Amino acid sequence: MTNKEPVAGYMPELKALKARLNVFVRMRWLVVLGIIGVALSARYLFNISFSTLPVFIICFFLLAYNLWMYLWNRRLSKDDTEIVIKRAQASGYIQVLLDLGILTVLLHFTGGITNPFIFVYVIHTTAASILLTKRRAYELTTIAVAMAALLAFLEYSGVIGHVNLVGFLPVTLYRQLNFVWSVIITLAVLTYTSTYITTAVAGELRLQHLKMDLLRDQLLKEDELELQSISAEVTRLKDERTSFIRLLNVVTHDLQAPLVAVQSCISYVLDGYAGEVVEEQKDWLQRGSRRIDGLLLLITDLLDIPRIELGQLKQEMAELSLNEVIANSLAGLDILAEKKGLKFLVELPEKSPLIIGSSRRLQQVVTNLTNNAINYTKEGEIKIRLFEKGDEIKVEVIDTGIGIPPKDLPRLFDEFYRGSNVESKGSGLGLSIARRIIGAHGGKIWAESPNPETGLGSKFVFTIPNKQNK
Amino acid sequence: MSKILIVDDDIDLVAVEKAVLQREGYKVVTAGNGEEGLAQARKEKPDLIILDIVMPVMDGYLFADQFNKDKTISKIPVVALTSYVESPLDQPVPFEVVEYVSKPIKPKDLLLLVNKYLKKT
Repeated sequence: MTNKEPVAGYMPELKALKARLNVFVRMRWLVVLGIIGVALSARYLFNISFSTLPVFIICFFLLAYNLWMYLWNRRLSKDDTEIVIKRAQASGYIQVLLDLGILTVLLHFTGGITNPFIFVYVIHTTAASILLTKRRAYELTTIAVAMAALLAFLEYSGVIGHVNLVGFLPVTLYRQLNFVWSVIITLAVLTYTSTYITTAVAGELRLQHLKMDLLRDQLLKEDELELQSISAEVTRLKDERTSFIRLLNVVTHDLQAPLVAVQSCISYVLDGYAGEVVEEQKDWLQRGSRRIDGLLLLITDLLDIPRIELGQLKQEMAELSLNEVIANSLAGLDILAEKKGLKFLVELPEKSPLIIGSSRRLQQVVTNLTNNAINYTKEGEIKIRLFEKGDEIKVEVIDTGIGIPPKDLPRLFDEFYRGSNVESKGSGLGLSIARRIIGAHGGKIWAESPNPETGLGSKFVFTIPNKQNK
Repeated sequence: MSKILIVDDDIDLVAVEKAVLQREGYKVVTAGNGEEGLAQARKEKPDLIILDIVMPVMDGYLFADQFNKDKTISKIPVVALTSYVESPLDQPVPFEVVEYVSKPIKPKDLLLLVNKYLKKT
């Protein structure tokens, strides 16, 4: 497509062609009115005597023919195939030819060569020059001049009759050879000149149009190629990510199975099924067992990532009362906090917000945040707050603990990232899992430290879109 | 004496569970996959089945299909032992009587569970 040369017969666009054919039809309606107006005013205003009946008959024919063309154009508008351009051009050619014929017949009945409207031929040839190719335009110009000349000379030689416009010009004018020749030659000069100028201008316009089309095609193609390569890259990355997550799923599962077996074997011995265990043996076995528990915890957390990422969380989503979710998450944690001497406050709205979510996963998040708050707070209080704000629901877990150094805040929710001021505890995946869970619910999670309200400890906040506002 | 069928592909786990249950006086039969499990269930008519979900040849879900169709065994209670990956919350196994327990399970917890369904004779 890009190497397409500007062709002689190139028509810019079907749309332009159709628009021009419609101009023809509209012009013709006006022409009918014009003819009737001119004929009547010539007859009654200027008292030129000639028979108006043939004029009206021709007008009637013109109306019928134009109606047909009008309908034909409408049908053409619904068709958008390549072949339509050729058909539209052929139709344009035939229309001009028919118009020329009608004009010639009309002239014959209205004074022939002596009717100054003979120069209307120029309008036809100009229209042809705009609408059609150069060759077709010259063809029609020649036909127009030939028709005019034929009419004049047939009337001149008496082969056909001549209608005199009595009261307008000398009635013998059509028999004066000098007059006939001068009119025909003037007409020829006018039509050919007009055709020459119009086809040149139209040709130039078509060329520009073609260049523009080619440029547009080229730009579109470049855009498309770029888009294709980007979307291929995105697909590749997505695939890679999915297969990595699947691998993670398989690997963690295969790591888990033998650990479960080992733990069961150790429990068997520890619980005394394989004979009595002395205190020292018990100690060593318990050390091993604790390490396996830690590893199983890490694997459980690692397995959460593929489960959330592969969309399993979405399957669990249902309408939930968030108050209930929070209450369930905190079961047992109040006792844990009070054991450490911490105040434990829960502020829930009277009317529980309804959301769409996974109860199990949201509980996991609230439990994780509250657990962390209790772990990293020596004295003071732990506060869990739930409230609606605009089109979202906010859950806040506030503590008066050691807080988070500013440099740790941006990476807090990354995998295996640990605050620089805390001892290693847990898998290091809790917050990154919380981020994934909240993300899958269409919410956001972040931490502020120190808590801007009290200047103490830290505040963890997550949001969930409010279902009632949607 | 109550009879328990353990269906699991992990031979070490089976060994531990079998030893624990036998010491408590249960009769224990075992199977390494779902297919063997079905055959054993029909032959031995156990009072309880301890079933692993992820297994080769025939997994817990396929086992459940066949198991539920066979009216001679479908009323036997099933304890589904699941490790985290095959969490029943994602895709429950459709047994009539079923309890889910996540692995690893301590010997005394296993006994508590079994005693819930069976009375020692």
